[in-house]
Amino acid sequence: MSALALRQTGHAKPLPGASAEQRCFTVIDGDEMFGLPVQSVQTIFRIGGVTPVPLGPADVEGLVNLRGRIVTAVSLKRRLGNAPLRSARGELAIGIEHDGENFALIVDEVGDVIPCDESATITRPPHIDPTRARLIRAYYRLDSGILPILDMDAVFDFADRNRPSVSQSHNNTAMRRNQ
Amino acid sequence: MRLRVRVGMDELLKDFLTETAEQIEAVGTQLVLLERDPSDAAMIASIFRLVHTIKGTCGFLGLNRLGQLAHAAETLIGRIRDGATPTPDAVTVILAAIDRIKAVLAELERTAQEPEGDDSDLVQALELQSAAVAASTRQAQQQAPEPLPQSVKSERQTSAQPGEEASPQIRRPETIRVAVGALERIMLLVSELVLTRNQLLELTRRETEETIKAPLQRLSGLTSDLQDAVMRARMQPVGRLFGSLPRLVRELAAEVGKKIHLVTEGAETELDRQLIELIRDPLTHMIRNCAAHGIESSAERLASGKPEAGTIRISASHEAGQITINVVDDGRGLDIPRIRQKAIALGLADEAEVARMSNEDICRFIFAPGFSTAGAVTSLSGRGVGMDVVRENIEAIGGSISLSSTLGQGTCFSIKIPLTLAIAPALIVQAGDHRFALPQMSVVEAVGLGPGAAHTLERVQGAKVLRLRQDVLPVADLSEMFGLADAENESEARLVVVMRVGLLSFGILVSSVADVQEIVVKPLGPSLAHLKIFSGHTILGDGSVVLILDPAGVAGSLGLQRTTDYNVMAPADLTASSHESTRLILFRAGSGPLKALPLSLVSRIESVASEQLTESDGTLIMLHKDRLVPVLPASPDMMRKTGVHPILVISLGDESMGLLVDEIVDIVDEALAIQIAGSAEEIVGTAEVRGNPVDVLDIMHFVRRARPNAQLRVAARRFKVLLVDDKLFFRDMLAPVLTSGGYDVMTCASAIEALAFLQRGVAFDAIVTDTDMPEMDGYRFAEAVHEQPRCGDLPIIALAAHPSAPVLAAARASGVSAVAGKFDRRALLNALRACLNTEDLANTDLEQRVLTEKAA
Repeated sequence: MSALALRQTGHAKPLPGASAEQRCFTVIDGDEMFGLPVQSVQTIFRIGGVTPVPLGPADVEGLVNLRGRIVTAVSLKRRLGNAPLRSARGELAIGIEHDGENFALIVDEVGDVIPCDESATITRPPHIDPTRARLIRAYYRLDSGILPILDMDAVFDFADRNRPSVSQSHNNTAMRRNQ
Repeated sequence: MRLRVRVGMDELLKDFLTETAEQIEAVGTQLVLLERDPSDAAMIASIFRLVHTIKGTCGFLGLNRLGQLAHAAETLIGRIRDGATPTPDAVTVILAAIDRIKAVLAELERTAQEPEGDDSDLVQALELQSAAVAASTRQAQQQAPEPLPQSVKSERQTSAQPGEEASPQIRRPETIRVAVGALERIMLLVSELVLTRNQLLELTRRETEETIKAPLQRLSGLTSDLQDAVMRARMQPVGRLFGSLPRLVRELAAEVGKKIHLVTEGAETELDRQLIELIRDPLTHMIRNCAAHGIESSAERLASGKPEAGTIRISASHEAGQITINVVDDGRGLDIPRIRQKAIALGLADEAEVARMSNEDICRFIFAPGFSTAGAVTSLSGRGVGMDVVRENIEAIGGSISLSSTLGQGTCFSIKIPLTLAIAPALIVQAGDHRFALPQMSVVEAVGLGPGAAHTLERVQGAKVLRLRQDVLPVADLSEMFGLADAENESEARLVVVMRVGLLSFGILVSSVADVQEIVVKPLGPSLAHLKIFSGHTILGDGSVVLILDPAGVAGSLGLQRTTDYNVMAPADLTASSHESTRLILFRAGSGPLKALPLSLVSRIESVASEQLTESDGTLIMLHKDRLVPVLPASPDMMRKTGVHPILVISLGDESMGLLVDEIVDIVDEALAIQIAGSAEEIVGTAEVRGNPVDVLDIMHFVRRARPNAQLRVAARRFKVLLVDDKLFFRDMLAPVLTSGGYDVMTCASAIEALAFLQRGVAFDAIVTDTDMPEMDGYRFAEAVHEQPRCGDLPIIALAAHPSAPVLAAARASGVSAVAGKFDRRALLNALRACLNTEDLANTDLEQRVLTEKAA
């Protein structure tokens, strides 16, 4: 698929909540499954070489060449606070354009695209670890279990953990808007 | 991207905005030209047409506010078109109306809504002017009984249409309008194509198959051509920038009450559109400067025989892949003595340094931060932000700025900028197992290190520095800075890439330079953009991603800042240092007067409890940062006490030693003049510091005891030179020369006598000897000296009547450092200074650095 076509699908994303039924792309980290809005997924690929970014946010694994485009590789595992990867090379990643920046979200496995009914959302169980809960936009009740949906704004905002938050008003306001 | 139109916005409105935005700029320029030449009917007609179009479209689109404004402006312009004189007042009001229209358009573009607002003030002013010029028209018509019939005028209008010289906005029918976004997209795709081409070339580098090679070569060539063509498509004539200048100059002239004439040349010179925007501010600032400072008042100009109106000439030209823009005024020129004074006052240089500098170098001081000779702060300039900001902006885009000035005749600023920023040659360097790109425009040279190399990396208090010719450069170690795993050891051959950012020089330590490539600079994404040390990233020929180091960011990480490190001078020479004040640390140790040391020798002050000091083998040892540091009492009669002691830590290259004192009293700046030579061996002598006698310690004495292998020199010491000549005449002639050069001189009448001195252990820093002497000539003497203990590398300067080739050869063979003509006083002093400088540069320079750091 050409980069151009991917981009256009990315732009044409419907407003959240516009339709009663959404489709979610599922990814697996360890034994947990997460959902992503299907329209934010551009491509799935295996990571080749990774160029680390010295002094960069700790959650950024490095920069990756995705067919001539430089994308910022972020490990979902590390974002969730699980044991970090040794090397991102050869890992499975999902190409995501978010807020004008191209990311590669490194995951263990990818699952199916499943329909999610807006009416099936549940309120967040209050005892979920706040650092993990922060990354989740909504929780859906499915037949097979509860599916947390990742909040792309939160997943790709490193301000909270790696930088003094005052200097990063841009991302913070994005976060506040979503909360 | 100029237009950020919302999806669904009326196409018509979009077209209107695009078209108007371009033309409105032109109107301002044309009006100013019109004011100068009111008879230009073609121009009036074109202005009128534009305003008329705006008015018409506004009515159609229901933009009432714009419509009213345009209508009032149109009425006034219409009067002018019909023969009224465009008075300065009228032009000013029209310009104001155009500004308002521009502001409304900008808001319209942003929100797709006409903003709320009241324009009745402007509408009234426009109507008032309409009435005023109408009155003048009637008068004019009375004076000119036969006004041109309307039909004739419109004929003139049409005949003076396309390609007319008078109009700066040449309309070419063969151009089409392309959205900036579309062009950016093409540029992006071409960049990707270039990268893919590079990857292909890399893959097939060892390929010998001609069937692949030939078409690949062709592809490569075509890609380059395409890249070139697209770059050209992005180019815009610099006239776009020049277009706004007549109005700027007009306003400036009115503000400062001077008559100023603007001349622009080379408006057709093409430049990347991104760069055009980036040089707008610097250029504006320079013109402001010319108007405020450069051009004199009319009276002053007439008095000095110049035409009443000053001229600012701005010219653009394209040469050798660079654009040169000159801003020249015919004003009073820079006031060199005043700049010199100011430079001294600001501490940028001392009097001796300034005295040695050329006028050109002195002029460059105006680019120093906070430098402004303007006595009064006006709204125009003299606000402390000035040419340094201009210089920074220009350098930020890889350009440079220079100036020349002649008193009474004017000043010329010259800006050189690259054609584009998108593609730049870069050095690909390796640090540990990482690679980085360094923009080549900031690279001065690469210096090899390691065994056998001419340069070595030295450490001052843990910081790396490179001694390069006359300079000591701070060195950034990428591996260290980025915490990269660096398996290789220090002795391995490494490189320092010497960088220059503006006036700052520094080195970047890398393992090797892997390649030189043309890279396509891509900006970092928002999540990484806060990293000041990188300016972007790129994909190399082999497909790997590398980060591009930002030279200014690296300089910043070294602590080099434009405010504290502005330095255009070579390091001050040694003879001058004796007059400078020295920062002394005063402390109490034992009985007797206070003791002192130059603070530059002290790297830090530690407070150490007595139990942390252990006695070992007759000396005290303190454990500091996992290293054992010997500690000596600063005075032999100090009583050992319990409690906490201050310890002055003296760094000697990688090693350090401590000096135990009783109490730190003060730190003072004093011109250190030893008045009484010391009798005790640890004391250099006694000096007067603020009315009290102070014993200045001889740090060498302590260092010799604590660290017998370490080498160190005391800054305040004068060099001792031994002068050997068999003739009294020359001894009498040369000894005063050397003394006046700042050296302590001892003379000997023969080589034998001199050797006897050396054997008795009298130490000298250099020897100056005649070559032609009885018993033992200068060459044999030199050989004999170098055989003496501790004299193996003593610099020797030979004096010869004529330093001819055979003399030089013999001198070299015998180990003489330099040869000077016997009657060439200057050559002798220079040779001596060169020898001692290279020997001692490290210490003195480092001390000066330490001092400046402490001061800052």
